[in-house]
Amino acid sequence: MRRLGRAALLLVLSATTCAVADVGDFTPAELSRIAAHGPWPLSWTPDPGNRVSGNAAAIRLGRDLFFEPRLSANRRVACASCHDPAKGFQDGRITARGLVTGTRNTPGLLNVRQQRWFGWDGGHDNLWSASLRPILDAKEMGGSAARAARVLRSRTALDCHYRQAFGKPPAAGDPELLVNIAKAIAAWQETLISPPSPFDEFRDALTRGDTRAAAAYPAAAQRGLRLFLGRGQCATCHAGPLFTNGEFGDIGIPFFIQPEGVDPGRQGGIKRLLANFYNLLGAHNDDATRNNATATRHLRPEHRNFGEFKVPSLRNLTLTAPYMHNGSLATLREVARHYSELDEDRLHADGERILKPLKLSPQEVDDLVAFLESLSPSKALPAPHAPPTVDACHAP
Amino acid sequence: MKSYAKRYPLAGRRWRHADSVRKALAILAAGLTTGAMNAACPPDAADGAVLTKGELVLAYRPLLADKSSRIPMAKHFALEVQLCDPEGVSIARLHKADATMPEHRHGMNYRTLITPLGSGRFRIEGMMFHMAGHWQLAFEIQAGGETTRITHDVQIE
Repeated sequence: MRRLGRAALLLVLSATTCAVADVGDFTPAELSRIAAHGPWPLSWTPDPGNRVSGNAAAIRLGRDLFFEPRLSANRRVACASCHDPAKGFQDGRITARGLVTGTRNTPGLLNVRQQRWFGWDGGHDNLWSASLRPILDAKEMGGSAARAARVLRSRTALDCHYRQAFGKPPAAGDPELLVNIAKAIAAWQETLISPPSPFDEFRDALTRGDTRAAAAYPAAAQRGLRLFLGRGQCATCHAGPLFTNGEFGDIGIPFFIQPEGVDPGRQGGIKRLLANFYNLLGAHNDDATRNNATATRHLRPEHRNFGEFKVPSLRNLTLTAPYMHNGSLATLREVARHYSELDEDRLHADGERILKPLKLSPQEVDDLVAFLESLSPSKALPAPHAPPTVDACHAP
Repeated sequence: MKSYAKRYPLAGRRWRHADSVRKALAILAAGLTTGAMNAACPPDAADGAVLTKGELVLAYRPLLADKSSRIPMAKHFALEVQLCDPEGVSIARLHKADATMPEHRHGMNYRTLITPLGSGRFRIEGMMFHMAGHWQLAFEIQAGGETTRITHDVQIE
């Protein structure tokens, strides 16, 4: 039946293409690949490794803690300091600035629930572990369990939502306190989902045979889409509805850190992950089956991992400049030119062999940028989701 | 009882070798059921793609978490393998299973774990094709003091 469904979809898509002059003359293979980048948004399921995933009290608590600067050592740095809701939960800086300036670009958080690995080096295999690291990192927030417990007890709503979510009061001596806080923050971040983009509207219009709606998608974006799927081979890694395969690659972005040193990327990330007390192989994974730990259990470190960084999602790019793990490319045009003029000498000797300079014309650069821009929502993002205070937690 | 062909359909793979396609389709068309699985050697439709090298016969089929019909890109899946030796008695051992992208000159990001299930059957866990394109599955089989390597090309989209 699924084959029949796919065949029917292709027929509809093909018929659509033939009928409308304003919709590019995509081949059946291209149409199939366009369809594979949707639908959007993806269906949401709770994180089995986080027992408060989807829990209203935990989401409310996590939301409040995300914006709480008192968790940091100087009481001025919150998660939201770097993950600004107005900027796709990024900060617009080249590299992150917590208590000190870091060496990597801040990743955006929209659609973070859909990720397999977290951080540019994939040093975390779950969102709550990734959320805990910056709180404790001396260079980012410099927090502690004692500080977190004080913050929780300082406000009735925080204290109450914590008790509701975890069934006990927040206590500094509780070894679960920090991971519970991280799970609450993760529960809130899981609700951050970007709305459909112009590309999604185009893709959906093609699939339902709505040629009038499909024709509204700009011609330049359509040409860029064809380049993305074809000669650019971008979809080899930037695949699926999230426009990423969730894995890692070396695309020739320098890994040197000023003034000296190197960022080992995925190689260091694997080491950190496997040494992390809070990974999915550990006791804090709430999935008793450990089925959610398959990726971690089967990891295979390779020499080529050095200098590899995560293949980012291409959604919401207009909100999250600058780009790449070190924030070295300021605009999408620079990103397109990077692939156009790729310096193969910078690539790892054991790395990906299909990466070649695309040698794009100025028109093709414009088209690719138009397509990439069409992956961001055309409407303003909704305000961060904040479930109402759970009734029993209203301050007296 | 639900047929194996229905539980583990082959629709998602593009067979590079026409022989394999013909073989798989012909066997699928026969509509063999779970009961046939017990007649392990030679492999039948329920065992998926049937590969031969010399007198060794290997069949494999994907076990997908969502029971969908195609191996998805960038998602973990398992394989079940059936081995047969020349006498039709499964004494061969699946020693190693892996996959590479020859044109890209790299393999998977994950290492596989092979679990013997008895009667020449094995379960391979930890598979993931993380990029679109041509993958080559490789199985190393030990039988009679010799190691045999059988490969199979798979197109992932």
